[in-house]
Amino acid sequence: MSDSDLKPDAGRGIPPIAVSRITTEVNPTGSWKFIRPRYEDRVAPCNSRCPVGIDVEGYLYLLGQDRRDEAIALLLEENPMPAITGRVCHHPCEDGCNRARLDEPVAIHSIERRLGDMALAAPASPAPERTRDERVAVIGSGPAGLACAWHLAREGYGVTVFEKAPEPGGMLRLGIPEYRLPRAILDRQIERIRGMGIDIRCGTTIGDDLPWSALDEFAAVFAAPGAHVGKDARIEGAGGIPQIRPGLEFLKEVNAGARPDLGSRVIVIGGGNTAMDCARSALRLGANVTVVYRRTPVEMPAIPQEVKEAKEEGVGFVFLAAPLAVRSLDGNLLGLECRRMELGPPDDSGRRRPVPIEEGRFSVLADTVLTAIGEDCDLSFLPEGTEISGGVAQVDELCASTTARVFVGGDAADLPRSVADALGAGKRAAIGIDRWLREAGGDRTGPLDVDALRFGPEGNVSAARLRGTDPIPRTDPVNEVVTWDRMNPDHFRRVPRHEDHFHGAGDLRSTFGEVNFGLSERETLDEAARCLNCGVCNRCELCMIFCPDMAIHRREDGDGFEIDMRYCKGCGLCAAECPRGAMSMTREGL
Amino acid sequence: MSQTIIKERIPHEDLLCSGHLACPGCAAPIAMNLVLKALGPQTVVTLPACCWSIIAGPWPQSSLRVPLFHTAFETAGAVASGIKAGLQARGDDETTVIAWAGDGGTFDIGLQALSGAAERNEDIIYFCYDNEAYMNTGIQRSSATPWGAWTTTTPAGQPEASPKKDIVSILAAHRIPYIATASVAYPVDLVEKVEKARTIRGTRFIHILAPCPPGWKTQNDESVDLARQAVQTRVFPLLEIENGTEWRFTMDHAGEPVAPYIRRQGRFRHLTDEQIEHIQADVDARWAQLQRRVVHGG
Amino acid sequence: MKKVMIGNHAVSWGVQRARAEVISAYPITPQTQIVEELSDMVADGRLPARYIKVESEHSAMAACIGAAAAGARTFTATSAQGLALMHELLHWAAGGRLPVVMADVNRAMAPGWTIWTDQNDSLSQRDTGWIQLYCETNQEVFDTTILSFRLAEAVELPVMLVLDAFFLSHTSEPVDLTEPAIVDGFLPRREAKLRLDPADPHSFGALVRPDAYMEMRWQQQEAMRQALDVLPAIEDEWHALTGRRYGALETYRTDGAELLLVTSGTITSTARHVVDERRARGEAIGLVKVKMFRPFPTDALRAALSGVDRVAVLDRNISPGHGGIFAEEIRSALYDVPPDDRPVLFGYVLGLGGRDVTPAVIESIVDRSLAAPSPEREDLWVGVEL
Repeated sequence: MSDSDLKPDAGRGIPPIAVSRITTEVNPTGSWKFIRPRYEDRVAPCNSRCPVGIDVEGYLYLLGQDRRDEAIALLLEENPMPAITGRVCHHPCEDGCNRARLDEPVAIHSIERRLGDMALAAPASPAPERTRDERVAVIGSGPAGLACAWHLAREGYGVTVFEKAPEPGGMLRLGIPEYRLPRAILDRQIERIRGMGIDIRCGTTIGDDLPWSALDEFAAVFAAPGAHVGKDARIEGAGGIPQIRPGLEFLKEVNAGARPDLGSRVIVIGGGNTAMDCARSALRLGANVTVVYRRTPVEMPAIPQEVKEAKEEGVGFVFLAAPLAVRSLDGNLLGLECRRMELGPPDDSGRRRPVPIEEGRFSVLADTVLTAIGEDCDLSFLPEGTEISGGVAQVDELCASTTARVFVGGDAADLPRSVADALGAGKRAAIGIDRWLREAGGDRTGPLDVDALRFGPEGNVSAARLRGTDPIPRTDPVNEVVTWDRMNPDHFRRVPRHEDHFHGAGDLRSTFGEVNFGLSERETLDEAARCLNCGVCNRCELCMIFCPDMAIHRREDGDGFEIDMRYCKGCGLCAAECPRGAMSMTREGL
Repeated sequence: MSQTIIKERIPHEDLLCSGHLACPGCAAPIAMNLVLKALGPQTVVTLPACCWSIIAGPWPQSSLRVPLFHTAFETAGAVASGIKAGLQARGDDETTVIAWAGDGGTFDIGLQALSGAAERNEDIIYFCYDNEAYMNTGIQRSSATPWGAWTTTTPAGQPEASPKKDIVSILAAHRIPYIATASVAYPVDLVEKVEKARTIRGTRFIHILAPCPPGWKTQNDESVDLARQAVQTRVFPLLEIENGTEWRFTMDHAGEPVAPYIRRQGRFRHLTDEQIEHIQADVDARWAQLQRRVVHGG
Repeated sequence: MKKVMIGNHAVSWGVQRARAEVISAYPITPQTQIVEELSDMVADGRLPARYIKVESEHSAMAACIGAAAAGARTFTATSAQGLALMHELLHWAAGGRLPVVMADVNRAMAPGWTIWTDQNDSLSQRDTGWIQLYCETNQEVFDTTILSFRLAEAVELPVMLVLDAFFLSHTSEPVDLTEPAIVDGFLPRREAKLRLDPADPHSFGALVRPDAYMEMRWQQQEAMRQALDVLPAIEDEWHALTGRRYGALETYRTDGAELLLVTSGTITSTARHVVDERRARGEAIGLVKVKMFRPFPTDALRAALSGVDRVAVLDRNISPGHGGIFAEEIRSALYDVPPDDRPVLFGYVLGLGGRDVTPAVIESIVDRSLAAPSPEREDLWVGVEL
């Protein structure tokens, strides 16, 4: 037996007791896993639903991080007029909000409005540098035209906007009453857009004041003339009776500052936003107003909030009724004969078609009847050969018409018609025009992958994605909308939605002052904090907290996390517990 | 909003290291991590035999960045008492001494030493991370195993026939200053309880349910959700007891039916609907008893 | 300062002089007076220690282990069933190299219930890794208590000091209580090399794989061997301070002895008396007292016993199925002695369960050992009448 058998080798340094001297970090326990987690930013439904293509979730995320200026900048990246959309948009974003499944949707419109007002209060940024030789003509200074002009200006193009009316704004000015959109806000917002170096020429009608050929000097044209021709309600006997008027015409008059006398009994025909605006404006002129709509409240195309406010202000509603004929009674009094309707099978719009009930007739008295059953476009100024179908121009996904160099958007090309849809079309047109001009100029970068720019398969395109200006680092983005079933609602507490403050009803007559005062700054931030950041890692750190293996760490650059695969055992708790569906597990080695 | 609060309320310092030897999806390291975050580095851990004896790593490793004393199965209460006394004798009255024991080491073999420490009101925090069986030895029943559960010593033909021992009431009967139940699914609640316990002197007892994927026959990624469901079904209500008499819930317990919670666990696979109704009735009865205590004092 | 006191209180005073910092104990006859006296000392401030009144001996040892791991000087006392209950944790203290000091008042094991002395309780813990020191007088008890702390902390092993139930524990003798200042110089405050320290965090006692376990046990064994050298060294110091020393092994009137009695505990005093009587009659009888049972003083025993014709080992204990434990250990130690020098060994089992071992009993053993050519069997039971 040798000496070394008797006495252990001192060189191994084994201590007399089992006292630790290293950590378990020497164990590569990550080798146990057969699936591995990854961060995958997805798309929040608000973004996907936004016709403008605003990164709603993104700016709410930035607000949550106390990065207010960046939040405003991200909002402005897609939307040149948030102070306006925050007030008048029908906010489909909120309809898609997953939070509705938990308690109530985030009041996105209120937050947008507050951010828009903040942006207007802040000093204007200098006009972008003119980097492109080409000038683009835009016909119409409504939301579509201004959005297109604004996006083009940011790309360095010169833009001239031709506006028929004496003042810019299109339907924003002509169609939307002041109590919804104060003129001061509208004016300041348009001033900001003008400040981008955009030339707006008012009182200039293409095809009338200026021939189409006058646009030859422009490299491209974006036509967004709007829809200004009220549809005929086809009421028997209406011809020649001045008290039966298109509602839009009445609105334009009122919005221009006139205060016409409508008498004490006003009937508004229709169930859309124009009808609501007519009804509420007429109410403010002192009339008793009744809306006659041929379907039920469910089918009304008007923004529900507008309907609600109209009701609260005292507008009466008669549903399932359609005007049939009108008679002039003594003096200015009209007798409007209506018939009862019932809902039949769905029509092309998916809504149930109203069907007349024979014998179900009744008459109402009115001093004025305002018809608001939709508007048509006058596209006669477009060059011959530009394909028009169903009353609107036929365009591709970036608004190119069938005539080279001519792009069409807004109400003239899009259905549905809304401010948001118009803004979204303007952006798409700007992108389309830019691509077209670049290609015409010999740029060989190839076709644009428009789908990759969309927020989800159905969403509008994102300028931030196109321009690479997204301030939020995206981890392995997947262009898929996160539905509620992908979320883990257990980590969310119910928090009531902050509702806008309203002018108390009662003394609304004769005032066209703004009725909705929005939210306070504090309420806005609290409301923004209600955002669940669906599909997007908002650094909530639950993945870290629930990782049993301490394998998830904050990145050194402070933004986001990294998973140390040496230690991740692939248990999947991070992905299972991610409240917002921003993680997934994949098979190891794939 | 709530997630932001979680981030702000959970201390950042990690005192648990990667590379520890817990099974994938084990809730016990999550619990330890949260507890040590709340207690901070001036903490000494007493560790009787349990799954954590392995999780802590073999010599010369340690998965904790605080002192850790491995000890015999039944001794956590007594060794922790001694450590506290030893530190005090050396002039250190600030370091928090904790015992970190499984359900076997708490409900069964260690109950005497725990009772002794609690009766003496030793200045320690005793944590029981409860995975409801002897998991380290391969899933044998303990007195924390719920009625009806399969384990290797309560096979499906003769599943666990006794209800889970009411350890919290046993501790409450010692009139110690602070008792709490906590869940890894509610990290803020857990951390707040530990932080509160840290500021109290005397024996504090915190019972943490720690789902065990291999022992419960569940998926690795279900552990936190199971812990949450245990709370929401009132199988494991979250509460605090001060001085043994002031009982208080710290959470809204939805009172969801237990059947989905039971059905998703393989260890209950053999149970009939009638047997699950029996479990529901037991949960309801315990809940009614708890409510009486909350209202009238325990 | 000399005081007349029972052996149990001699332990208490030794603990007081050693300035133990944490005491944890559970009452059991015949040990109880040790911890009662310590309770008084802690209560009236004579001993500024933490006293943990645990619910069992098992927890007493557990608490001592915890306190020792935190760096404190710790003490407990027990007997018989209490010691047996501690068994698992005796391993823990020793394997953890924690210098816990414990007094075991030797009491026989039940059943049937007994409170009287024999050594089976302490000897049953032979292989737990504790140093074991057996005492003969109350003075030795006091001194050994202090020496135990010094020895334990020097070699980082726990020490069990052992005294006979009643014959020492409850018997009053004068004890010179060494002045605190002298003890303080001899036994300064404990400074653990490693302890549970949040400023230097380590784990203690983790899983050890087969590739390292033996190395740790080897070092434990080396520490035991080291204790054989350390004890005389610290006794030299103690002797210089107090004039008292005991040795791992004491030889008494062994010169030219034909028969050596080997004893431990209080039987030694009775045997001394018999040896003196026999020497007075001109018989060459001597005595070897074994104070240190673990580590076993093999070399010293071989030196003391080699060349003697006959050795009679008096065991107040029995390893059932084998023999008296001291006798078996000594027989084993003598195996390597050359056959010519190897004495004939008589192993007597006596005094179990507190049965009195009188001078007459020892006289009979002397006679029997001198008369028989060799032992009839390895365990020679004394005084058994069925």
